[in-house]
Amino acid sequence: MKVAAGGTGAIGFLRELGETASTLWWQFFDWLAQVPFRQLVVTWVLALLLACTPVLLPKQALAFVLVSCGLKVLAGGKRKAEIEAREASAHAGIESMERRLLEAQMAALQAQVEPHFLFNTLALIGQLIETDPPQAARIHDHLIDYLRSTLPQMRARGGATLGRQIALSRSYLAIMQARMKARLAVSIDVPPELESASFPPMMLQILIENAIKHGLEPKIEGGRIDIRARTAGTVLEVEVQDDGVGFSHLAGDGVGLANIRERLKLMFGSRAELLIEAPPEGGCRACVRVPFAPDIFAKAAP
Amino acid sequence: MNAAAPSALIADDEEPMRDMLRKRLHECWPELRIVAEAANGQEAVELAGRHLPDIVFLDIRMPGLSGIEAARLLFNRCHIVFVTAYDQYAIEAFEQGALDYLLKPVGGERLKTTCARLKGRIGRQPDDIERQLGRLLAQGGAAQRRTYLHWIQAQVGNSLRMISTREILFFRADEKYTRVQTAQGEVLIRKTLKELADELDPDEFWRIHRSTLVRVDAIAHVTRDLRGRQMVKVRDFTEELEVSRGNTHLFQQM
Repeated sequence: MKVAAGGTGAIGFLRELGETASTLWWQFFDWLAQVPFRQLVVTWVLALLLACTPVLLPKQALAFVLVSCGLKVLAGGKRKAEIEAREASAHAGIESMERRLLEAQMAALQAQVEPHFLFNTLALIGQLIETDPPQAARIHDHLIDYLRSTLPQMRARGGATLGRQIALSRSYLAIMQARMKARLAVSIDVPPELESASFPPMMLQILIENAIKHGLEPKIEGGRIDIRARTAGTVLEVEVQDDGVGFSHLAGDGVGLANIRERLKLMFGSRAELLIEAPPEGGCRACVRVPFAPDIFAKAAP
Repeated sequence: MNAAAPSALIADDEEPMRDMLRKRLHECWPELRIVAEAANGQEAVELAGRHLPDIVFLDIRMPGLSGIEAARLLFNRCHIVFVTAYDQYAIEAFEQGALDYLLKPVGGERLKTTCARLKGRIGRQPDDIERQLGRLLAQGGAAQRRTYLHWIQAQVGNSLRMISTREILFFRADEKYTRVQTAQGEVLIRKTLKELADELDPDEFWRIHRSTLVRVDAIAHVTRDLRGRQMVKVRDFTEELEVSRGNTHLFQQM
């Protein structure tokens, strides 16, 4: 048993040694492939000086000159092309990432207006026009705000702050409250200094709509939704919690959540995440964590 | 059914919608008595049992029982009219079948036509719509028939984290536990790899080794190492996963 362990240890060590040697060789070869001849000549002279002055080893120096010259002529061109190709593909990778981000953003914006929501809200406005015209006008305004933020063609500029996202969500929540009446309670707890923090568009809305659609609408007595934002060091946490029917493990991960995850990954890499939790008291909690940079102009503004 | 004024029940989870339908019905058909209003499917079935209305107006999307499910329990006791704002598939199905339906906002000519039709039918046995309802329900349920696990529940600290299977790179058996690896990190769950393999979508996760279940979409590439073993490289992760001899067929060249 011990012998076997020692054996694998030795093999492991040898393999590691081999890997290091090969890495060093390829690094040297990459340099050699790309270096211009003029610089190589300078290096030869330096190497000759280094090799010759202290111990006078002209044979070895000559061998280095011959070998490196030969390699450069014979295989250098191909290697150089390979390295350039790799760089080009890395560049293409960045470009394709940018394109994917744009596509994901468009998808987020387009996927949002659900016909069921739209028709129900229009029906409500139609009814309120007869019974409560001022309320009809308010809901109508909320619907316009909601659509403006949601339909890509009409997307208002500069919407990517937390404050703006909250304001847009308020329109949606006001409409849902008018429809669900006592079945929907809402609380929003966002410190005013965080309102200027930048936060990606259409994420809060997707989480709120999910909470209502999957958590509260299917629950007979309805429930409440809590929206909170806070910072923890350099992280901004925005959380949407409901006390609805909770999770079905078999329900698919909706388009909305997948879209949030995709955009977070493309925008922030591993520095952002979407957490979904099932709190012990029931319901569901969704939390988006993005990097937070305090806005230095926030306090200067009145 | 009865010689007295015809009676109806309205079921909709949104109160303003019930108010509106009641008002419009009163305009179109003043003799019709609204005997009860329900805010969800269960209540509709209960109240219909108590009041025995001639007609039931059912919203389709309601908490508890949906309108279609409620209709299935009521159809031979009263005439049923579905009410919906927008439900593409259901409306298509209604148009094919003989089911009566109204679109929100309810009003005008459409409601008059429906009322006229209902007046003619009152006192007769309701149509047998069970087969159509069954088909509608089957349509709605078809998408969920074979359901796989889409969320993994894991205790992290003192909260219960829900991890979407789309976030997971691979599962690996780790003595008593199963390690769930995501790009962000790893968590341990108690469910065994065998249980997971049975419950997860076999097209989403492949068993590449006795102790490894990898998400197909997360695989970056497969290479052979010096000993000829296939090694799976997973995106956003450095460690490579070994493919056992018996599973090399998964990664054959085309």
